[in-house]
Amino acid sequence: MNSILRYAGAFVLLITLQLLIFNNIEFSGYVNPFVYVMFILILPVAIPSWILLLLSFLTGFIIDLFCGTTGVHVFATVLAGFVRPWVLSLNVTAEGAEAEMSPSSYRSGLRWFLIYTFTVVLVHHLALFLVEIFSLRYFFQTLLRVLLSTAVTTFFIVLFDFIRPHR
Amino acid sequence: MRSLLNFLLRFKTLILFLVLEAVAIIMLSTSHNYHETVLYGISRNITGFFAERLERGTYYFRLRQVNQELLAENILLKKQIAGLASGSQEGFIPVRDSVNGVNYTYLNARVISNSVNKQKNFITLDKGSRQGVAEGMGVASPSGVVGVVVGVSRNYSVVMSLLNTDFRLSASMKRNDYFGSLAWDGINHRYARLSEIPHHVAVNEGDTIVTSGFSAIFPAGVMAGTLTGAQRRGGDFISLQVLLSADFKKLTDVYVIGNLTRDERENLEKEVAQ
Repeated sequence: MNSILRYAGAFVLLITLQLLIFNNIEFSGYVNPFVYVMFILILPVAIPSWILLLLSFLTGFIIDLFCGTTGVHVFATVLAGFVRPWVLSLNVTAEGAEAEMSPSSYRSGLRWFLIYTFTVVLVHHLALFLVEIFSLRYFFQTLLRVLLSTAVTTFFIVLFDFIRPHR
Repeated sequence: MRSLLNFLLRFKTLILFLVLEAVAIIMLSTSHNYHETVLYGISRNITGFFAERLERGTYYFRLRQVNQELLAENILLKKQIAGLASGSQEGFIPVRDSVNGVNYTYLNARVISNSVNKQKNFITLDKGSRQGVAEGMGVASPSGVVGVVVGVSRNYSVVMSLLNTDFRLSASMKRNDYFGSLAWDGINHRYARLSEIPHHVAVNEGDTIVTSGFSAIFPAGVMAGTLTGAQRRGGDFISLQVLLSADFKKLTDVYVIGNLTRDERENLEKEVAQ
């Protein structure tokens, strides 16, 4: 119960940060960080995959609602929620994952968390930007936007992971 | 039956994933009439409420720039007044121009939410149907064309920004009146393209691009931007790169432009076309 409240708090906090701060970063049009993806990343390791998918859908839906886009974020977050268990299992660490544990650099090391975050965020951003432009015109500009934004998003998520409380 | 159940249970994640992505794709494909949906109307009122409070807080930091824009516009208006006064002194009878002059009304509005980093950017204004804003009205800032109102609620309105890949504006070159279609290519928020200009037209760097007045949305001669000199050939036409005069990143105060005779004009055009 306590952990549900904490995750609800993280959800509200991340969406607020996204809408009030990160949506206003418009650095040359190429850097659009979507830090709210962190919510999908920090859900417990052993969360049932169908709950993960539904929560991803909800996250994307709320962001879509506030950004005035339709389905763009939903498409990307559901995809990110779908690939997350795979990325987790590919990178599973030696000490094994506790069921209640939230993926973090604190438990599993910075290198592991960096790879895990970067992979999921890359999938999310790639889907997001390609669906948004909905064509392969300007493909390399889009790719550059994806890579730069992924790098910045990953940076902020790792930073937030350092300062968030770990029990 | 049992094996079907087993199958469903085994692939429940994949099936749920596909169902949710299908929902996303349905949402995506219906996005063109999204602005009419009830849901968006509600969320627009909620986000408008928060965005307005946030905007009030950050507005003070941009006062210097807002003042400069207003000063520049004042100087322009003063010059026009001086021109009108000297004209009448030379003996011309001032004629009230019923085509260009008195048909447009202006309402000032504040930008409370804006973006430049998407492919389809929209702007939210703090005036709505209660203040007389209606769909299809043009929006301009003191420095240039901004967009067209596409959705109105009681206290807020949503403007399709010029920085929206669906936006088309009939614009002409001020120097020689050749007109084309001004649209954004989705790359840089400072530049748009003026296409459908014939080959033989001489273009110079720095030429002014203004609205043509061919649609009933904007009056003729509203500043849109200047040519950068870069051009691209395609078929019988060239497309020119335009440096937009409105800086969409710093948009704060805008005018909503209403056309008093719009219905009359559009009805006439429709009647003749039939």
